[in-house]
Amino acid sequence: MAGAPLDLVQLSAGVVLAGAVLALWRRDLRALTSVLALQGCALATLAIVLAVHNGAVGLGVVAGVVLVAKGFVIPGLLARAVRAAPGSRETAPLVNVPASLVAAAVLVVLSYVVAGPLTALFPSPLTRLAPLGLATVLLGFFVLVTRRKAVSQIVGLLLVDNGVALVAFLLTAGVPLLVELGTSLDVLLVVVVLQVLATAMRARFGQFDLDQLRELHD
Amino acid sequence: MSATAYLTGLGAAGIAAVLGALLPTRWRLLGAMVPGALACLAALVGSGQVLLSGRSFSLHVAQVLPFTGIDLSLDPLGALFVATTAIVGLAASCYSVGYGAHRAPGRTATATVPAFLATLLLVPAAASVATFMVAWELMALTSLLALLTEHRQRPETRDAAQWYAGMTHAGAAAVLLGLVLLAAHAGGQSFAAIAAHRGRLSAPVASAVFVLTALGFASKAGAVPLHVWLPRAHPEAPSPVSALMSGAMVNLGVYGILRTGQDLLGGGQLWWWLLVAALGVASAFFGALHAAASTDVKRLLAYSTVDNVGLVLVGVGAAGALAAGGERVPAGLVLLAALFHLVNHALFKGCLFLGAGALQQATGTRDLDRLGGLARRMPVTAALFAVAALSISALPGLNGFASEWLLLEGLLHGFASRSSLTDAALLAGVAVFAVTGGLTATAFVKAVGVGFLGRARSEAARSALEVRPSMLAGGGLLAGGCVVLGVVPGVAVPVLDRAVAATLAGGAPGAVRAGLGLDLASLDGAIAPALLVEGLLAAAIVSWGVLRLFPRGAGLRRPRRSEAWGCGQEPQSARTEITATSFAEPLQRVFADVLRPDHDLEVTHADESRYFPEAISFHQRIDDAVERVAYGPVIGVVARWGRLARRGPNGSVHRYLGLGFAALVLILVFLA
Repeated sequence: MAGAPLDLVQLSAGVVLAGAVLALWRRDLRALTSVLALQGCALATLAIVLAVHNGAVGLGVVAGVVLVAKGFVIPGLLARAVRAAPGSRETAPLVNVPASLVAAAVLVVLSYVVAGPLTALFPSPLTRLAPLGLATVLLGFFVLVTRRKAVSQIVGLLLVDNGVALVAFLLTAGVPLLVELGTSLDVLLVVVVLQVLATAMRARFGQFDLDQLRELHD
Repeated sequence: MSATAYLTGLGAAGIAAVLGALLPTRWRLLGAMVPGALACLAALVGSGQVLLSGRSFSLHVAQVLPFTGIDLSLDPLGALFVATTAIVGLAASCYSVGYGAHRAPGRTATATVPAFLATLLLVPAAASVATFMVAWELMALTSLLALLTEHRQRPETRDAAQWYAGMTHAGAAAVLLGLVLLAAHAGGQSFAAIAAHRGRLSAPVASAVFVLTALGFASKAGAVPLHVWLPRAHPEAPSPVSALMSGAMVNLGVYGILRTGQDLLGGGQLWWWLLVAALGVASAFFGALHAAASTDVKRLLAYSTVDNVGLVLVGVGAAGALAAGGERVPAGLVLLAALFHLVNHALFKGCLFLGAGALQQATGTRDLDRLGGLARRMPVTAALFAVAALSISALPGLNGFASEWLLLEGLLHGFASRSSLTDAALLAGVAVFAVTGGLTATAFVKAVGVGFLGRARSEAARSALEVRPSMLAGGGLLAGGCVVLGVVPGVAVPVLDRAVAATLAGGAPGAVRAGLGLDLASLDGAIAPALLVEGLLAAAIVSWGVLRLFPRGAGLRRPRRSEAWGCGQEPQSARTEITATSFAEPLQRVFADVLRPDHDLEVTHADESRYFPEAISFHQRIDDAVERVAYGPVIGVVARWGRLARRGPNGSVHRYLGLGFAALVLILVFLA
């Protein structure tokens, strides 16, 4: 693969990672949902380009599923939850934004170092992009750890999932349709469950902060 | 043919477990126990053919277990254990029909007993490391579930199950390590390949394998100091399961030691077997002592299992030591005696546990101090319990006597061997026989005397009713076995001889001549219990007749009837009777340093004067000293670490996620 398709793939992968960094930077929860929608569209673009280039019908269907689920349905659901809640800002993250961005830089470097052996297995322009996916996974996990709001937690989880999907597309030229359908549905279900949880929490405690759930241990 | 019968048995036991889990409540009990009993019969036929013909079978099924497949092989040693299990299993299945019937049987009870039975039948036939470990772990799992059957009725069961799970898991880990090490060095995982390689193993590797596996198997066998689970688990399990655990599962620990030590490693070194004998001596003494001091009838039986396994281990260790020293004939004799005692122990201890279950069902308690007078209320149970108790106390005419006599003869004939260490072990074995013989008799005089004779000590004992016929049939089968093997012990000799020949690398079979009695072929000594029994019967009949015909001449004017344990005085109330606690009291004083009883005496005085007590209550607990000394500190350290670790997770989701993230990043950094 070379030329315009490759550029498009590289651009999409870059957008996915940039979305993850944006999610760390922006504290407005509405902005986070737009970031997710952007990421979903970028992933779908990447999958479509790969499908057209390889002439794979199954991958094309997967791309469609990704576009619908990750580009529209899930961010839409999230946006609805955010609109319903009044205080829609991540006010006091456990790690502040500048420190988060520094940590993000460290994590991206780490993923490049770790993914070295992985790309060395089968060096190609596509596999060289795999560290971007790994970095997205790590950043998503970082969001999970450091952000307090329930919606931010969902966003973190979706970032991890997008990162995994990106790695899968880049390394294996697409996962089987059935697997992708399964994971998409899984993620959709998780989002719905978390949304219900968030609503219930707000009704009970008047806020989204997960640290209020401390009594639940043992 | 033998393979078909054996596999039919395994399959039937599996079907029984499935039926027990799936059938509706009404049919569940019969649907599980009838196929279970048939499974035992089929397995008995299969293993009996192997034992009688001496021809073993082996087969390989590739599809069942990924990568390795399943290897099954039944040689006379394995067949002896399968046959013993089958007999105990037959009795337990029969007994379960009545035992479960007094209330709606739960799925756990009806499914786990046949499943446990199936795994017990499977273990001795496993012929590769993978098959053996799978069967071994399945046995641990099913027995744990069976043990937990009555956890809703008795919360202590959960505590017992935790101990059992911990000990059996640790033991299985040690066995797995040992066998994997063995397979790696022998260049194959099937037992045949390992056995073919046995001379070429380096000594340190062989020793490491033996010590690891022997410790693992000893924990299953309940040898001191690895016995701590046994006096907890055996009393808390439902009685058919207790009988299977004590009569069959514990044996498999001994089987494991014999299989690895003698068959796979080919005998090995002297010190291995001295170690086994030392474990045996400690178990026999400690178990017998605790049995004599216990007042809970099932706890008493459990400690007595520790005692008897100890005696068998003394025999196994002595046989191994003698064989390692080249004394072939005494080695064969001692091993034959040890295997004979193992079979006998399965019979009488199975019968005793089934009897204890009948007691518990009829009276709702296992505490001997609350029983009494049951011989009149439950005559058949009492008779069966008494036969087994006489048998375990090694009285002539019953099977316990035959095997203990043989074992003692073997130990004595082994003296003046080439190694002074072996001689010392044999001497210790003889001494422990003397001590445990007395202690066991005390324990069972107490169990029968206090439990069945005298007067009822509680309302429950006063109104007890005889249990169902199916339960009595189960116990009767085992008691019948005790009598047959006691009167004509010689019939077991050819079968045992085959097992010895298949096991002992350096030992000679044929140490005992086949016949009705026991006749040591090349050594001095013979007994014929049949003659003894005939003589005793004749003497009893003659004296009864003489007394009947000439009552005056014998000095008996008017026969005076009085209650047993009444000290000749009547009428007396149950409160003045001797209790289990008071019966064991002198012994407790003598062995106070080992038993360390905790007394708790509360005296309430009358308001008017301190000199007139109003009520006195006395409680006594005898905890396991080994558990307190050896396990207490370990558990304390683990609990401290646990408390320390609990400070980390404080309920914050972010902290949990952070720990996971930190672990992921650390692993990635480590990989990079």
